[in-house]
Amino acid sequence: MLESLFGNIVVEKILFFLNTYGEGYPLGMAKTFGVPVNRIQQQLKRLEEGGIVVSRLAGRVRLYTFNPRYPFLNELKAFISKAYEFLPEEKKEKYYRLRTRPRRAGKPS
Amino acid sequence: MKTDWKNIDIRTLAGLVSKTLKDKGIDTLLVGGACVSIYTKNRYLSSDLDYVTHSSIKDVTPALEEIGFFRDKSRHFIKEDCPFFIEFISPPPAIGSEPIKEVEHIRTRRGTISLFTPTDCVKDRLAAFYHWNDPQSLGQALMVAKAQKVNIKEIKRWSVKEGYKEKYEVFKDRLK
Repeated sequence: MLESLFGNIVVEKILFFLNTYGEGYPLGMAKTFGVPVNRIQQQLKRLEEGGIVVSRLAGRVRLYTFNPRYPFLNELKAFISKAYEFLPEEKKEKYYRLRTRPRRAGKPS
Repeated sequence: MKTDWKNIDIRTLAGLVSKTLKDKGIDTLLVGGACVSIYTKNRYLSSDLDYVTHSSIKDVTPALEEIGFFRDKSRHFIKEDCPFFIEFISPPPAIGSEPIKEVEHIRTRRGTISLFTPTDCVKDRLAAFYHWNDPQSLGQALMVAKAQKVNIKEIKRWSVKEGYKEKYEVFKDRLK
């Protein structure tokens, strides 16, 4: 949907993901979207260099969030939120309504 | 003029780098921890120089190679015998959601540095404290506010606008 604007579909997916869940790690995003993790990492690197996202290590996982200091963040999030409304229901269900509430360790899956 | 790269101080290096780039038509703004070092006379010592420029990194690269700094990865430049590295941050220069309105110019023996004003330097450090609860950044903001004349009213206005009035009060209390 925003591919022509962002240059590729992976960036669009990453931005929707971060706007929905607040944070994410490359492997998790790759599994969600079924794309190779290196493609996700490549685009996250590009977004980080542009100051749009920031990352920190949590244990051995690198977590990415929007950069709260990015000067156009409010406008970007408003734009992404608007675009999200136009996504087909099945895409919203498949990618952006995943469980985020805690799950106690040891509970049978 | 011969340069003692191993023992160079951050202010001299910033002057030299700024001039080298300016001579090639590249305008820069020094931001981040290096400004804290300069304004506190190295009470806080940054290990890198963060610059913002609207010029392309492809134009910056040959200019910095002339003084021995080579591009390491993405936007970093290093020189083996120099303790500092240089990074180019993506433009625009901003403090939170506001653009920079005023720039400070400091003349050194090796060139003129354009950098954050002391007030913007404090706001820049406070932004990291506000968003990430980073205590080191709060400490640096306090150091600059104590070492330089800063506009407290402006810092308060900006903090409230960014939505961090309560955290501004923490800064204000520690400043007393």
